[in-house]
Amino acid sequence: MHDDRRRPAGALRSQWRTALGQDGESEPRSHRSRLVRGIVGLASILALTAAAWGATGVAAASHVAKGSPLVIADLAPFTGVDAVLGPGFLAGCYTATNAINNDGGVMGHPLQCKQFDTRGDPADAVPAARQMFASTPNLVLVIGPTSDEAAAVVPIINANHMVVFSGTGQSEFDKSPFKYFFRLTPPDAYSAYAMVATAHFRFHWNRIAFAFGNDIGSQAFVQPAEQAVKAFHMKLTTNQVLNLSDSTFRTEADAVAASHPQVVLTEALGPADATFLSELKQLNKGKMIPVIGTSATIDPSWYSAVAKAVGASTLQSNYYADALGITTTGPSYAVFKHNLIAIRKKITWAPWTGYLDHPQTFHFYDAVTMSVLAMIEAHSTKASVYRSYIKPIANGVPGAVTVTSFAQGLKALNAGKKIHYVGPGGATHFNKYNNSQVDFQIDKYGPNGKVVVVGSLPASEVSAAEK
Amino acid sequence: MDIVIASVGFGLVTASVLAIASVAFTMQFGITDVLNLSFGGVMIASAFIAYVVNNAGVNIWIGVLVAGVAGAIISYLINRFVLTPFKRRNTSPIGMVIVTLALGLILENLVLAVAGPNNVSYAMNSGPTLAVGAFELTALQIGMIALSLIIAGAIHALLRLTRLGKAMRATSCNAGLARASGIRTERVIASTWLITGALCGISGAAFAMNSGSFGSSSAELFLVVIIASVFVGGVGQPYGAMLGALLLGLVTEVSAAFITPDYKEVIAFIILLGVMALRPQGLIARATV
Repeated sequence: MHDDRRRPAGALRSQWRTALGQDGESEPRSHRSRLVRGIVGLASILALTAAAWGATGVAAASHVAKGSPLVIADLAPFTGVDAVLGPGFLAGCYTATNAINNDGGVMGHPLQCKQFDTRGDPADAVPAARQMFASTPNLVLVIGPTSDEAAAVVPIINANHMVVFSGTGQSEFDKSPFKYFFRLTPPDAYSAYAMVATAHFRFHWNRIAFAFGNDIGSQAFVQPAEQAVKAFHMKLTTNQVLNLSDSTFRTEADAVAASHPQVVLTEALGPADATFLSELKQLNKGKMIPVIGTSATIDPSWYSAVAKAVGASTLQSNYYADALGITTTGPSYAVFKHNLIAIRKKITWAPWTGYLDHPQTFHFYDAVTMSVLAMIEAHSTKASVYRSYIKPIANGVPGAVTVTSFAQGLKALNAGKKIHYVGPGGATHFNKYNNSQVDFQIDKYGPNGKVVVVGSLPASEVSAAEK
Repeated sequence: MDIVIASVGFGLVTASVLAIASVAFTMQFGITDVLNLSFGGVMIASAFIAYVVNNAGVNIWIGVLVAGVAGAIISYLINRFVLTPFKRRNTSPIGMVIVTLALGLILENLVLAVAGPNNVSYAMNSGPTLAVGAFELTALQIGMIALSLIIAGAIHALLRLTRLGKAMRATSCNAGLARASGIRTERVIASTWLITGALCGISGAAFAMNSGSFGSSSAELFLVVIIASVFVGGVGQPYGAMLGALLLGLVTEVSAAFITPDYKEVIAFIILLGVMALRPQGLIARATV
């Protein structure tokens, strides 16, 4: 232990001067501190530059080294009550990038799919989106934001000049001001009309009950469905809101059973629909009331949970859903299937076969494929450049060659031709707000949860609900 | 009126599951002095272990027992390797709460990583339905109510008729004095984690049976209802927790018959606030445990 009291005052002063850097001996320390300040300054500049690049991911994407991978982000719920949604989109991304990478990638860059979990909650989605831009300098495309979080994250993505293919159906995006926003899924209002129109035109049911989850995405169906019920002079027997955090819905199920509907319209993801429908069956003397689900219920995870809860054969004979038309035959589907089989080991969360006819997987497969074809035609991975090439490729232009796969599209583009991409998700018709609306198909589950198309619903019948 | 009668039946089933969990939670808190927010995580991890067993073709009631064993082991390990070291460092009570909160999140995410994001259901038969007017219960639901009653009786016997129960009550009242009187409080606390952990595991499996379908985050809100019923009944009071569970189970379901079911948890917390305002010590407030 030092005892400074015994030292002469001069020695002490010298020690303090040295410590404070006031004499000649302290020069190396002064140099060091300048060096440290210089390093800190340089690091700050680098950090600021990195942050600026992160904030404008597109700019960064154009600076990635030759041959280094480019990233497609799946910004969607992977946990929380809507956790089934993100993985379905990811399956489409894996499948499309497998096909693209097998043909050399995009301008020498392989593609990777990376998931960013929004937890289905805007409060978690915004930091997830910011983290996505900050941590992914080689980002070229975003897929996925659902109705749970799209309103919160699409403005951020658009401000970062990044193309986003969204899974939202919210009506606020029907006439969206966002230039980088695209959507292949139908507006929720249109889907709700289709559900009621299916009950009215195909099955002639007049007594209808609603049981939708209390999340933003599911509640978006309620108001337009009520409007459609009025338009078709049907009777809404009860409208039950299912709190997705609840563990049981007996009272809600009892209210539905007591109102004697001919059909129940539902979307309550997570374990809710499985619990609710099994309780409804029990309280309806063991008989299941027919159900019409949204396109989000056409999902292997949803099927697996509900089939176990109510019985597979019961579900298969009492469930219908509306979805945009997809193709499960022909050359585009063959390529999709081939690539899905190739990446099946990456699908660890559900039986991969469930994605052989999963509408959202098809649509995000198409979204990735047409975006990459647009990059190739634009000779740029910058979203601000390739964005304007997407719509002509999707909608087709006079003289364009119709292609059904990335390989065909690449070959035609290399031959200097214009292309019109029609994938397994069917033909695309983007309007001026980058929304694509086509006819609906009516699906049900067949043996082992395979989706079977049992009918179609032309746009005219769906539109009748608007009146 | 029919729906009100029916909702009383639903309330009894909900209350029976809630009672098992609440008794375990309140004993854990009363004796070990740890407000364990990882309780929901242990419940759901145990429920998933029961699912694995059930999926292998084993009867779900055996699965419930397996969940109890799993819950006991997980809870014991949590206490032995996480909570005890923190306690030795004199971590503050609020610090311990944060530690258990972190443990709960870790457990939930471990379940998510292992089991995936999909929801699962037990393979079980609800059995015949017993109906008296609008009052309807399946054999499975009656079994769950019976399980809850058996556990309530066993806890009563443990606390009143055994030396361990006496030691638990002494530790709960004054751990220092209990230690000075020759009670090995560390052993008592370890036994408490094992017993309440077993009840936690059983309640997890019962919760999953009652839900029909469950996922890794299913118990998040249920934990809040458990805490509410513990506080309504009186913290550290097993009988209070049973009463709180019965009250909340019935009120939430019956209220859902009158107003939109979306507000049934709100009703539960209005009751909690009312009890806290009028009788802060809870409905039953004698000596703890």
